[in-house]
Amino acid sequence: MATRKNDSILFRWIKGIIHNKKALSGSLLVLSFILIAAIGPYITVDPNAFLDTPLSPPSFSHWFGTTGQGQDVLAQTISGARQTLIVGFATGFFVVLIGALIGGISGFYGGKVDDVLSMIINIFLVMPGLPLMVILASWLPPGPLTLTGVLVITGWAWNARVIRSQMMALRDRDFVSAAIVSGERNIRIILIEIMPRMLSLLASSFIGASIYAIGAQVGLEFLGLGDVSTITWGTNLYWASNDLALLTGSWWTFVPTGICIAFVSFGLTLINFGIDEVTNPRLISERNWRKYLPKGKGNDGITPVIKTHA
Amino acid sequence: MPNPILSIKNLNVEYITQSDPNHAVKNVSFDIQKGEVFGLVGESGSGKSTVVQSILRTLPPPAIITGGQILLNGVDILQMSDADVQKFRWRQISIVMQSALNALNPVLSIRQQISDVLFIHKGLNKKEADARVRELFDLIDINHDRLDSFPHELSGGMRQRIVLAIALALMPPFIIMDEPTTALDVIVEREILFKVLELRKELGFTILFITHDLNLLLEFAERIGVMLQGDLIEVNTASVIGQGGEHEYTKKLIGSLPSATGPRRHDLIPLPDKKDQEPEPLLELRDLCKSFNLSGWINPKKLLAVNDVSFTINKSEIVSLVGESGSGKSTVARLIARLIKPTSGSIILNGKNIFESEPRKASLAYRRKVQMVFQDPFGSLNSVHTVYHHLERPIKRHKLMDESKIYQYIIDMLEAVDLSPGIVFADKFPHEMSGGERQRVAIARALSLKPELIIADEPTSMLDVSIRLDILRILANLRNQNNVAILFITHDLASARYLADRIIVLQNGKQVEEGLSEELTGNPQHHYTKQLIAAASPGWLKKNLENL
Repeated sequence: MATRKNDSILFRWIKGIIHNKKALSGSLLVLSFILIAAIGPYITVDPNAFLDTPLSPPSFSHWFGTTGQGQDVLAQTISGARQTLIVGFATGFFVVLIGALIGGISGFYGGKVDDVLSMIINIFLVMPGLPLMVILASWLPPGPLTLTGVLVITGWAWNARVIRSQMMALRDRDFVSAAIVSGERNIRIILIEIMPRMLSLLASSFIGASIYAIGAQVGLEFLGLGDVSTITWGTNLYWASNDLALLTGSWWTFVPTGICIAFVSFGLTLINFGIDEVTNPRLISERNWRKYLPKGKGNDGITPVIKTHA
Repeated sequence: MPNPILSIKNLNVEYITQSDPNHAVKNVSFDIQKGEVFGLVGESGSGKSTVVQSILRTLPPPAIITGGQILLNGVDILQMSDADVQKFRWRQISIVMQSALNALNPVLSIRQQISDVLFIHKGLNKKEADARVRELFDLIDINHDRLDSFPHELSGGMRQRIVLAIALALMPPFIIMDEPTTALDVIVEREILFKVLELRKELGFTILFITHDLNLLLEFAERIGVMLQGDLIEVNTASVIGQGGEHEYTKKLIGSLPSATGPRRHDLIPLPDKKDQEPEPLLELRDLCKSFNLSGWINPKKLLAVNDVSFTINKSEIVSLVGESGSGKSTVARLIARLIKPTSGSIILNGKNIFESEPRKASLAYRRKVQMVFQDPFGSLNSVHTVYHHLERPIKRHKLMDESKIYQYIIDMLEAVDLSPGIVFADKFPHEMSGGERQRVAIARALSLKPELIIADEPTSMLDVSIRLDILRILANLRNQNNVAILFITHDLASARYLADRIIVLQNGKQVEEGLSEELTGNPQHHYTKQLIAAASPGWLKKNLENL
């Protein structure tokens, strides 16, 4: 067996992401939040402990001030990251997994299989998501598992629909026919031949679903539908509002959490833009092209003339 | 020399990429005289379309014209203001594009589309425009009851005529035709070209004709320019080019053209050693039919794509299925490859009716015996996998040999289709190879299972002219060396004649004629076959032009 160079699609991708400014800065931003979530609880003070006068503004002993219960806001913000991110990414993962499974099978086999699965997808699509989410979250025992489950149930169908149509487009391609003619099993064709071609779709779906999950989760918890005894970004906001932070003007109880949520979503969005450019080099070429042109040119459909040859 | 209508001097065009700019057109200079037909020929990537689009300044991003002059009646197009560019387009130069279906708007009627041009450029009112549209319809020989048709209701040939009418709407003195007939069948192509030349005689416009098909240009162009990788390597009169030209590449292009009639050239494709064996049937089709459901939910219409097709392929024989688009030839290929199920009829392999023994899904044994090579080598290989993966999978799936022997076997297979060194090619991804190389990988994949029959569905039609012959040669050698039978599906009667032992002609899903290659091309019986052969023979247009 000779050596084979490692130039698989994943490797090309990683290379592309490192070279892409948007994707790289987005990844660094998100990674730093993941790092904080991982080690945060070991380096901060106990976020549950009553430490100081409630609602005291930022100071040297408490950089972000204290909450209405006299807890350290910095410690709460940092420890809140963990569960929020876990629920967010887990939801993203399961939404894509279920979407790929149901959408993929439905699109690949077509016919009766597609009729049945499409119907299920459609039923979930027309169900009003927000009320269902609220009802389920208040009816099931509160906690991260419930939240993930509720978000996946209300969020997978749209994804399945997108993957199904992509699968339908790819399954009629010649490379799939060629695999069938060579005797390949359907499951292998779906997993090894077609799925890698959808990688950019799957990755951006994962990121999109994660952003949605973080937002929705915070929203549910803010309404008090999560487990209010745990510390997450959502419960932080819930307690801030419960302690009448706005009324008392104690902005420090909700601003740090809000900024964190905004930054994580921003980082994920940057990665999404980056993936777009890595998988579609035309976007980059066109941007480079504009750099050569005088300002305001290049929008009128007339090829520019810039003489560099004698 | 008289005043040229168009004169291109040292044109340079670059495409901005992530790394170094791609220099697509390098110092190209040529003149076109008033009233002449100038042909520009080149393979994909040679820059011929880039030249044309520079003339109209319609190159999309990321292109930049980086040097030279394009003089139209002495005025430099490259120095015009944007407003002037808008004015000269269509009034002085118009263009006929390759795909009429893309050039026409599917939601507007033909009348509206032609009128639009007249409203914008000439400011005609509705009544005047309508009169002009009718005039144009007379010009291109289309009945006035088609005025309110939509593009999808017209045939490919009619659509291309409409595009021609739009180009003629303002009666420009100069018309560019960018592969206007490539998407059309040969017989229709012939009619359209004839119409174009007839109109030229009547209206006297100048034509710049772009194509990859040198044979076609030799029929009617007065002068021909040959492009290769951004360089204009030769400009000469058609008669000089027809005799081989001066540049080596032109000689190669001319030398690689099989013809449908005339004496057979024996140096092009190797013939098998004559064997006096009794032909032994390998695969037999009996009354095969396939119909597809068309639109209509309540009252579905059916399209009979394959209608009672029956023929036999003998062991180690090359049979060619010839037909135009829509003749059902690809459907036959997919039926035999068992990618789709027939509506009725049977396929008999080695004496056994396969729909009795394996009615639902093709068995592995069947897959191993019958392999297929697809038309588009850019689509039939998966861009995320290496060549090695493509060849390894079938061998592993069919448990053809020991794990340890596979690598060497794959290298051997690659070298059998002239991809050497095989070690280098094994690690390549599809996007790192040219079209011809990809098609060879596809052939190697089909061959690696040691099948008894390879179905080759238009294996050369997406490739450049100069490498088509190589692929045909590889197929011919496969049969001579591996005793594999080949069903060669093509629209090109000339290559069928050179490669195949027998030819079967399909028209609208029906078999119209069958015979030994030389006999069928030399003495066709059915009128459709006659038409096909006439359209594929050199000199066909000249004969008709003399009668003008």
